[in-house]
Amino acid sequence: MATTTATITLASSDIADNALSVSNTMTLTTAGTTTGITETTGLARIKMESTSLTDLITVANVTGFTAAKSAKVYIKNTGTDSAKFGIIGIGDSGGTPTNIGRLYGGDWMLFPWDGNSGEDITIDMSDATATIIEYMVFFE
Amino acid sequence: MATTTATLTLSSSDLLSNALSLSATQTLYKAGTTTGLDGIQYERMEVATGDIYDIVGSSQSNGIALGADKAHKLYVANKHTDETKYVDVYVATVNIGRLYAGDWMFIPLEVGAATQDVAVDAVSTSQVIEWCFLHEGKTLGQQ
Repeated sequence: MATTTATITLASSDIADNALSVSNTMTLTTAGTTTGITETTGLARIKMESTSLTDLITVANVTGFTAAKSAKVYIKNTGTDSAKFGIIGIGDSGGTPTNIGRLYGGDWMLFPWDGNSGEDITIDMSDATATIIEYMVFFE
Repeated sequence: MATTTATLTLSSSDLLSNALSLSATQTLYKAGTTTGLDGIQYERMEVATGDIYDIVGSSQSNGIALGADKAHKLYVANKHTDETKYVDVYVATVNIGRLYAGDWMFIPLEVGAATQDVAVDAVSTSQVIEWCFLHEGKTLGQQ
């Protein structure tokens, strides 16, 4: 068993009259237990140079992945241009994925992933400028 | 304009042969700009069971202005302490994953269609979630 933690800190001194300071740490565990997740894809980096909708993470390519558990996915757009983005979705690039949102340059996201059949994670870049996308899946 | 940052730290000393230590910080901007997000909604609530309930979306009485070209951000945390309890999180009709007790998520959110809400479905009673929605604008419902 491994111990992996993810901490988020949301902070602002001026979005409201009082400061915003949210901090939360979770330990990545297998579904319904306190046992730490022991499998990961490791941190991957992929260069996106096309505006074609494509699968960023395919369920079938994550060896040993079990759907509907407590997998977590980290994705980051390492670009620096605040006007360029990749749309992250759930579905299949051969169909019409459900869009979650846009990762602009420098943005990251972390979310739970059911990863049932046909629920790949897709990306659709706003332009063909070479952009490095990082991702990492924690799964069981 | 406000300045709001979201920082992630991922760490483990024993998941891999070498230690994992990853840190990422983003400033929350409006879509395609370097102007900070200036709308916020921060709530804590107990989720009823038996159905899927919208927490953020255009169909809410104080819903988000529709538009795919937005850079809203959403943080959701399951505050339950029983590790067997979870809420399913939906975007539109897709169950994207489970937030077990203690878990949190942080995602960008576009609302390109009126059906593109974020919703939760609690598998047991007394599950409290917290969520913070940082956004580009909402529309108050009429009385």
